[in-house]
Amino acid sequence: MHSGKRLSAVGKGVKSFFTFWKDFLVGDSPVLALGAIIILCVAYLFRGSAVLASVFTIILVLVLITFAVWQKTKARRHAYN
Amino acid sequence: MCKLVHLENGDLNGFSGLFESCSLRERLVILMIDQSTVLLFITVALASAVEATEALTIILASGITRGWRSTFEGALLALACLAVIVGVAGTALIYYVPLYALRIVVGTLLLIFGLQWLTKAILRQTGFKSPHDERDIYDKQVATLSTGKKGILHGQRDSLAFAISFKGVLLEGMEVVMIVISFGLANGSQNQLGTAALAALIAVAVMTGVGAVVAKPLTKVPENYMKLGVGNLLTVFGLFWMGEGVGVQWPLGDIFLLVLLAIIFLATLGLIAYFKRVHKSITEAEL
Repeated sequence: MHSGKRLSAVGKGVKSFFTFWKDFLVGDSPVLALGAIIILCVAYLFRGSAVLASVFTIILVLVLITFAVWQKTKARRHAYN
Repeated sequence: MCKLVHLENGDLNGFSGLFESCSLRERLVILMIDQSTVLLFITVALASAVEATEALTIILASGITRGWRSTFEGALLALACLAVIVGVAGTALIYYVPLYALRIVVGTLLLIFGLQWLTKAILRQTGFKSPHDERDIYDKQVATLSTGKKGILHGQRDSLAFAISFKGVLLEGMEVVMIVISFGLANGSQNQLGTAALAALIAVAVMTGVGAVVAKPLTKVPENYMKLGVGNLLTVFGLFWMGEGVGVQWPLGDIFLLVLLAIIFLATLGLIAYFKRVHKSITEAEL
């Protein structure tokens, strides 16, 4: 019983640890975290060419910012339409 | 041949005499290293000032409503925890993790933070999100703290004031710690960790000093504009270091940081202008 309670407390601690880091890193915009990982993969794929890597990663960053803002304003725009 | 270009960034102390022996291109490279250090200092100081303003609001609300002793104790303990994290994690990472791996992780983290700050700042600038208002946050904190019971830890200590202050400073400070460690390590020099930590300390000290003098929330700090600037800088540094981590040789070397900054900044201005128009048309239609 005693060790069961201790295990449950450890479980809660581990859960809150991961919840904290998830909130801290991902926050309310999972699309941004996912987008950053995609940009990392694209940079790795084009690492051999400075020009291609710069062009594609910059375009992706711009698309990601635009999409994130567009997504956050969607509710208000839909209510208006 | 110029010996200075073979030195690692941050190891440029006492080089003024040797500087004369360098060619124009080599001098430009050395000056760019210094410029990226200045850019690093500004980014960390701005980010820390924003977070310090937010932490200060919580401390003021707690101190004025519940008393200063427990509030200060909570804040000081949180600051001590943050200092230990910077010292231990920073030093351990620089010695035991390869530079390319650090740059990948640090770059990705900074890119995520930068994009988050930038998106929020654009939404606030365009009216889709209400501006960050320290007075409003302060009033809400005071209302919450006023209704709470006085919890005694030992003697005169107030557990609620202690907990609110500790949590507020630790959470706001954690982002600063991540930025300090990231900026301090991504260049691969321990000197940069000192520069980043110094920038954060100066910013926090200035904001704390101003807060202590005025003894009310710092509503005059242009937090939204600062977040916009920091969002741009974090995004640029994040992308740059992430690319270097996976082996991208950016065109123009460090100068490419300024090119990236100009592109992201212009795009941000364009997005603000466009979404401002969208917001205006929605508001007019709703009236």
